[in-house]
Amino acid sequence: MLFISLLRAVKFSLQDIIRNIWLSLVIIIILILALFSINLLYTVKVIGQATVSAVKEKIDVSLFLKNDATEEEILALSQRLKSLPGVKNVDYISKDKALAAFTDKHQDNQEIIDALKQLKRNPLSPTLIIKPNSFESIDDLSKRLDALDSPLIESRNFANYKLMLQKIDSITAKVAEAGLLISLIFAVITILVVYNSVRVATYTHRREIAIMRLVGASSWFIKLPFVFSGLIYALVSLGAIVAVYFLFLTVLQPYLEAFFVGYNINLLEHYRENFFTIFATQFVAAALVNIIASLSALRVYSKI
Amino acid sequence: MIRFVNVKKLYSHDVVALNNVNLHIKPGEFVSIVGQSGTGKTTLVKTLISEEKIDGGRIVVGGWDITRIKRSEVPVLRRQIGVIFQDFKLLPKKTLLENVAFALQVCGSGRKKINTIAPHVMRIVNLEDKLARYPFEVSGGEQQRVAIARALVHRPKILLADEPTGNLDSINANEIIDLLLRINKFGTTVILVTHNREIVNRLRRRVITIENGQIVSDQAVGKYLL
Repeated sequence: MLFISLLRAVKFSLQDIIRNIWLSLVIIIILILALFSINLLYTVKVIGQATVSAVKEKIDVSLFLKNDATEEEILALSQRLKSLPGVKNVDYISKDKALAAFTDKHQDNQEIIDALKQLKRNPLSPTLIIKPNSFESIDDLSKRLDALDSPLIESRNFANYKLMLQKIDSITAKVAEAGLLISLIFAVITILVVYNSVRVATYTHRREIAIMRLVGASSWFIKLPFVFSGLIYALVSLGAIVAVYFLFLTVLQPYLEAFFVGYNINLLEHYRENFFTIFATQFVAAALVNIIASLSALRVYSKI
Repeated sequence: MIRFVNVKKLYSHDVVALNNVNLHIKPGEFVSIVGQSGTGKTTLVKTLISEEKIDGGRIVVGGWDITRIKRSEVPVLRRQIGVIFQDFKLLPKKTLLENVAFALQVCGSGRKKINTIAPHVMRIVNLEDKLARYPFEVSGGEQQRVAIARALVHRPKILLADEPTGNLDSINANEIIDLLLRINKFGTTVILVTHNREIVNRLRRRVITIENGQIVSDQAVGKYLL
């Protein structure tokens, strides 16, 4: 009997969706729009996080060495630095390498290239680039490097990365807060719109519901088709948003790559890797909004 | 079968729908409840099917005290009491047979049972040749007979008819009353709520008269008094 009732509830739900196809389409489109905006906000959050991580990853500290330092002395200093706590890696950029990189970087700027030629010598100094283990250890590492006593060191470049990243973090947090607020507003609008759509649907079903009650249908049987409708609306909108959003990401990805040159930000890959978590959460949320709105409308308008 | 003990129903502190109603209806009886509009007849019907909760007293149906009935038990009660109304309450997009079958479908009956019972009750109300018609394709009397057929699908012990002839001409009204009498002959208790004087006087059965929410007369073989 339970199985028959479940099947009938599904049948009544499908009949209802088809008979009120325009109303059903309105609900589905509203859900798609709400899910799209939520995904958009999520995308902004992912890009923000990826940017901050990429910037953190790129942070290093440079020690500029004296021009007359020999290769052996530099390699010995490099070994000494590697043994310091908080150091992940030390890269040695020789004078020649630095010059080649500099020339390559400014190959389109003829004035710089000419100035370099007029100097007739390599003005760049050898450099040791020290990568920290983590962004958090950069402060301690800077202090240690500051305290490092070596006649080879000409100058030290400890840019205030911490402050810069704190600013990025703070902007990201503010964007996330704004995103949360916008998502909440959209969620409230969605709930209200879905609630009102379901209210109209319930109103059109009042006669049927009254007859169901009259002939002894249990309240859960009356509610069940509305629950199934909620699930079906959520499922259809989710299918649509998966298709639409992946298309959107495919179009967006080349622009992102062009904008964030040198950073590995791949949204398509992120969505593929987290497909289940992202879309299952959205399905549950959309279904819950639908079902709660349906049941509460039924309670208010049909006293069930 | 049905017992009302000091039943009181208030819609607000100064609107008393039922005031100290005491009533006992035996199994198999045919009872007419009469009274002018707004005297509490329909409220009495609603309290009997637990559509309205009472504010005082006790209602017992077939030994079951439904005064404090749980929400989950209401459908069980309604399967034991068939109800028909003046406006038939049929689904316009379903055929006559589907309207009757619907009552069984929503209660979880199997297809085999539905295919047996629904045509059978349609035969009882003499509509076996109009199963595939839609409500708008048949007369008011026939629509009311479909409503009766639907009320009978659960084989109820009680049939409540709230103004069943209100929308019908005298010929159709008499047909419906004859049908109710036939159903009563099978042993079903019939409670007819009406203000149709001719019908009540023709029946020559028990008549309960309600005025201002109170029973003012209860005659074993009564007439329409008001």
